[in-house]
Amino acid sequence: MGASRARPSVAANPAERELVITRVFDAQREIVFRAWIEPEQASQWMGPQGFTVVSFEMDVRPGGAWRKCMRSPEGRDYWRKGVYREIVAPERLAFTYVSDDPIGIPGHETLVTVTFSEQGGKTLMTLRQTEFESMAARDSHRGGWTSAIERFARYLAPAA
Amino acid sequence: MSPDRLSSTFAALADPTRRAILARLASGEASVTELAEPFEMSMPAISKHLKVLERAGLIARGREAQWRPCRLEAGPLKDISRWVEHYRRFWEQSFDRLDAYLRALKAKEHKERKHGRKPRKT
Repeated sequence: MGASRARPSVAANPAERELVITRVFDAQREIVFRAWIEPEQASQWMGPQGFTVVSFEMDVRPGGAWRKCMRSPEGRDYWRKGVYREIVAPERLAFTYVSDDPIGIPGHETLVTVTFSEQGGKTLMTLRQTEFESMAARDSHRGGWTSAIERFARYLAPAA
Repeated sequence: MSPDRLSSTFAALADPTRRAILARLASGEASVTELAEPFEMSMPAISKHLKVLERAGLIARGREAQWRPCRLEAGPLKDISRWVEHYRRFWEQSFDRLDAYLRALKAKEHKERKHGRKPRKT
């Protein structure tokens, strides 16, 4: 009896398991960068529409912790925390992001890397958020992990 | 999607040996002996890893008594890709707000300059 080897059409492209968002902001990159690392500024915008940031603590240095509380329009509080990994003003910022409730995973940790590049007075900002990078960093098997993901991708890609 | 299942998927993936096993299975079914080959590990140690993967639903074992081939299961991998969508919404909305915030900041600066005051440095 041969086990059936169904090949589900899963979005398993490694790129699709890494969130990448790019945006151009009409402001100089020093200003955009500062909007990330100053609590009173970050509180103005970080969160979904209608949410307010009720507290935001930042210890902006590699290894420093951050922690924030967002309040939903219904009055429910959501805590997030993490640790800064890299701060290269005004080019690059990396931090871990731990949340207990976006999809109900206690301690669900991702790594967020934001890069800022100048574009004629404007700023091109690229955010990457990944589960696998943070795991890879944790057990320093980055190469092995990346190739594993590539092989998953090939396996899961719908047969042409 | 069950949060418990998702966290067990993440826990199962958080080990290099188990990821290597999954990578091996991505190229086809394999027996426990075959899976153990590349590792300097005892069979019980490999079996333990396989149990974790099986519990997480990442692999399935064949029913044949003698040769119980392991194969990769795609379902949990599909679930873990959903967090991406959650965060996409979060950041897209945040960046809309950041854009509005930066515009307001700029407008304020222009206004202050027009009125002969030095732009506020924050």
